[in-house]
Amino acid sequence: MSFEIIGISSSLIEKQAITEIERCNEFTAEFGLALSPSDAAELVEARNIALKSNGRIEFGGGAIHKIIREFCDSPYISMHNYAETIHELTEMFYYYKNETLDLMSDDDLIKFMKNSFDGKCQGSLELLSGRELANMARNLRYGYPPDYSEDPMPDEEDEDGEY
Amino acid sequence: MANIDKQHVIESNKLSGEQYFTSILQGAYANGLLCDSDMENIQLQCIQLLANICERYSGGESSSIRVEAAENIMKSNLYTIGLYLKSLPDVDFAANEIKKASVSEMYQKGRKLINVRLHSAKHIYNLVRKNKLFTPNYSYNSTINEGIGSFFKAYDPDYEAHETPASIDYQLCNPVTNMIGIEFILKYLENLFLENEFCRGFAPEDIHHMLYGYDKGYKDLLINIFEQVLTAALGCSLANRNVVELDISAEEIRHLHYELSEYDDCSLSLKLRKAAGKMLEELNADSLPLKRYIERSMPKIITNILHAVRMNTLNKTFISKALPDLKPRIRFLSGTKMHDEDYRKLIDELLMCRHSPDKLALIKEKVKSFGDLEDLLFDAQLSEEETDSVFDILEDVEIAALIRRHPFRTDIQAVDLSEGEMALRQYLKNYIDRLPKGKQEEIFEMADRLIDE
Repeated sequence: MSFEIIGISSSLIEKQAITEIERCNEFTAEFGLALSPSDAAELVEARNIALKSNGRIEFGGGAIHKIIREFCDSPYISMHNYAETIHELTEMFYYYKNETLDLMSDDDLIKFMKNSFDGKCQGSLELLSGRELANMARNLRYGYPPDYSEDPMPDEEDEDGEY
Repeated sequence: MANIDKQHVIESNKLSGEQYFTSILQGAYANGLLCDSDMENIQLQCIQLLANICERYSGGESSSIRVEAAENIMKSNLYTIGLYLKSLPDVDFAANEIKKASVSEMYQKGRKLINVRLHSAKHIYNLVRKNKLFTPNYSYNSTINEGIGSFFKAYDPDYEAHETPASIDYQLCNPVTNMIGIEFILKYLENLFLENEFCRGFAPEDIHHMLYGYDKGYKDLLINIFEQVLTAALGCSLANRNVVELDISAEEIRHLHYELSEYDDCSLSLKLRKAAGKMLEELNADSLPLKRYIERSMPKIITNILHAVRMNTLNKTFISKALPDLKPRIRFLSGTKMHDEDYRKLIDELLMCRHSPDKLALIKEKVKSFGDLEDLLFDAQLSEEETDSVFDILEDVEIAALIRRHPFRTDIQAVDLSEGEMALRQYLKNYIDRLPKGKQEEIFEMADRLIDE
């Protein structure tokens, strides 16, 4: 009898997660976004891989439906990049849960991702992962607030173009 | 008449005390008490319990946790259930309970038991602190004062019930094995309490003198005081001496050796058990738990004594008391050092001086305190011959003080010392080696008795 929990992947839990993701279509339809059953199954598979590679375990539906709910109104997501973006955001999410030493709750981390994605990153997943989230995780690890920056933004040029 | 034990389907002596729940499950499955579907059901229930507790662990703020944390929580849950199952009358009863009750119910019962055990452990800890022995032994004192105290601050029965966050250096005569978490601490404290209770039947100074006879530096040793006291008391009982005083002379130990070496192992063991009974009577030790504890300790003590008798080392097992406080001590005062400026001038002069006799004359004239002389041996860059001639003008007690402060018979590695210190120790060693044997011993004995201030 084994109680090793890394191998736990109950089909019941997976089915529950797929149904939860499909149910998200009800409110994402408003933004012209929908996931097919195979997209949902792939997302759950991607979540399992992300969890495993980041040494984490999740019970129940998990964080994907929270990510979908938060990101569905983003101006940078449309039907043609929807599944792919959610897929990447999910991987990023679990990676940065570890990098932030679990100091940030799921909701706060997803909110931070959304604000940065729509704001400073202007829809770039590379900038979100490589710059904003990396800086935020470093700040948290060193005890600074998440949005702390050592280099203050340079003063904007005045109207004459002089500093 | 032999004991008649009830026969169980699962052999209780094969069960692990640390992972009781899983080992009962394995036993029950192997013996057909649980089938595949029962096992699957129990596994699923354990996962469900884990999910609930993980949610509580993350405060509902995170849907996922690190695998290491989840594994730790799982171990804690299984330990808690095991604790409850151990409290049931026997293994078969426990196996039935696993079949009937849900995992969550068993966990809740186990969790309540942990609280009860924790309360008992705190109570016994207070008793142990009250009947603590007065001894300079460091591991004993630090384990009772800080080591176990830290357990009650750090123990987390919800998520790490199986851990033992205590720093326990003091080893018991009967070590606690096959137990972890709160069970370990409780058993350790119970045993320690009994050991203390036994040792409190003797005067602290008698124990101190006996242990001092065992080793002068016993305060730094990882020894079990109870074992030493019990062995010494047995020795006194065998030699028909007053047990309470723990006083047995070297002559009596020699006599005991001649007497005991005539017995074979079996009759010697019987004789020692009889001596233990006589010793307990003399000590008026009528507490049943204490008697049982001594009974459990006897095999180890008997083996030690048997071995010592066969190896002719009984004088290392039965210890004669030594009275450390009766040795005369020498108080050594270094004197007041000269002013820094005068000292610098002297060193400059010594460095400029080319002839050794002139240097020696200068030292004799200017240096009035031992502290200055010691500094000078480092700063004046004297050769070995010059250092030797400085040693020649010193009294024996001053050489002894130098040996105390710069010991060359030490375990400190040469890399840990400065170059000057290494050179001084080497010169001192060479100087002492050249002295006659009698003189050397005289100086070393003086160094032992020195109180350096």
